[in-house]
Amino acid sequence: MNVSKDLIAASATPIILAILKDSDSYGYSIIKMVKELSENELIWTEGMLYPVLHRLEEQNLIEAYWKASETGRKRKYYRIREEGLKELEAQRKQWEMVHSALSKSWANQNQK
Amino acid sequence: MFDLELNIRSWSDHLRSRGNFKETDILELENHLRDEVEDLIGAGLSEDEAFLISVKRLGNVNLISQEYSKVNSDNLWKHLLADSIDPEEKSKNRKNIMLVIIFSLLAGTLAKLPEAFGLHMNEPDAMLFYFKNLSLFILPFIAAFFIIKHKLSWKMIASIMGVFCLTAFAINMYPSYDPKDTELLTGIHTPIFLWLVTGAAYMGAKWKESRSRMDFIRFTGEAFIYGVLIFCGIMVLAVFTMMIFSAIQVDLGWFISDYFFVYGGCAVAMITVYVVEVKKSIVENFAPILAKIFSPLFLITMIAFIGAMVLMGKSPFMEREFLIGFDLMLVLVLGLVLYVISSRRAHDKAGVFDYMNLALIAAAVAIDSIALSAILFRLTSYGITPNKVAALGENILLLVNLGGLAWMYLRYFARKIDFSIIEKWQTSYLYAYAIWMAIVAFLFPVIFGFL
Repeated sequence: MNVSKDLIAASATPIILAILKDSDSYGYSIIKMVKELSENELIWTEGMLYPVLHRLEEQNLIEAYWKASETGRKRKYYRIREEGLKELEAQRKQWEMVHSALSKSWANQNQK
Repeated sequence: MFDLELNIRSWSDHLRSRGNFKETDILELENHLRDEVEDLIGAGLSEDEAFLISVKRLGNVNLISQEYSKVNSDNLWKHLLADSIDPEEKSKNRKNIMLVIIFSLLAGTLAKLPEAFGLHMNEPDAMLFYFKNLSLFILPFIAAFFIIKHKLSWKMIASIMGVFCLTAFAINMYPSYDPKDTELLTGIHTPIFLWLVTGAAYMGAKWKESRSRMDFIRFTGEAFIYGVLIFCGIMVLAVFTMMIFSAIQVDLGWFISDYFFVYGGCAVAMITVYVVEVKKSIVENFAPILAKIFSPLFLITMIAFIGAMVLMGKSPFMEREFLIGFDLMLVLVLGLVLYVISSRRAHDKAGVFDYMNLALIAAAVAIDSIALSAILFRLTSYGITPNKVAALGENILLLVNLGGLAWMYLRYFARKIDFSIIEKWQTSYLYAYAIWMAIVAFLFPVIFGFL
């Protein structure tokens, strides 16, 4: 499915925050998680993930640290912060509100 | 054959050249690329297929770079000594600063130590002693700094420190008779030799690799520039201190000359090393910029000199002082050529600065050959002295180096060899310098009877 650019941009923050809430992670693994969660429907331009991550970092929603992986490669891991959890909760409410509004309106149309 | 490593590196070089990325950003993206490539190869793709797909998935470099510029805009003026966010990095940084402070104090104290044996720094008799030992007060600590930083093996530590000890022993135990020519030569050549030994500590276990030697050459250029700048700062501080204290009739002259400059000088060296190490991934190297500004200007001067020489029919008048002058010319040209090469990426196409390098070398070799042919005759007819042999040896050493570079450049332009061969040749030639410096410093006194 071709998801519109605006929707991808808008959904990136809550998706990333949700993944990081589960456990600390690094860019490549976040991308893989997104693919899995969306059953390969949400395709991000992978390079674009990092500017988003850095912006979240600047907004103090997440923080970064370097850790060596099992293969010895140094990876930049991201961890969600208290503010990030709050932001995620706020976003979840917003998306649920939109979702429920859309569901209701579509249910109404089906009845007609 | 598809060289995966080379392709990945050239991709990250491409990112680097966009200028919007911090070095850590590039590392992060490069790791992403590597992860993806590995996964795809694991899924059965060949290396080049995996690389192409991964690059495609990462997306258009221009677009990514634009996105980064929005995030990093306040970072365009880079803050060299800003605190790192990474706690591990932070503690490492603190440790390094502590080392710099401790080593500066130790080096300064070591330099003051001979005074306990009656060799006072400002007495004319002790001047030569301090001159030839100067590098031994500082360089072992710089080497130690890198040894600790790179956690070198015991074998390397023993060899490096062994060379320092042997050098200290040799240059101070040798007798010396008037006119003390060889002693002075030892004093001039020991620091260069020991700097190359310090280079082994800088490069660590990979000291034989061309890449790490190139890094050491870069480090040398940057250290020189930053060292001069920081030293200027120390001078200003000294003058300022003297001035305000003299306003209240306190004369600090003795303090400044006996302590401030000794400890200050050692501190300048250590701080320079530290700063250059920290800045290497953050700030563009300055030596290549200087080299690119001045290489056209030097080329013009040299061509004008050749023109004038031909038009006026004069060959350069040859004395030893002139030979040293021509040695310096070769050193300058080598420096210009080298630092232009050092900022060049191996897979770049031949550019205007490559041709200019060749022209510079050709001009220098031409001038020096004329000078050398004139001088050889004169030198031999007036008898051999250590100074002449040393100056002549250096001239030939540099001439061979530049001639070799010119030959390599020609083959490179004819597409017979890869640019990396030129780098490899240049970095291997460092051996020749180390050996010659050691010969002049340690063997000349013996050969010439310690005169």
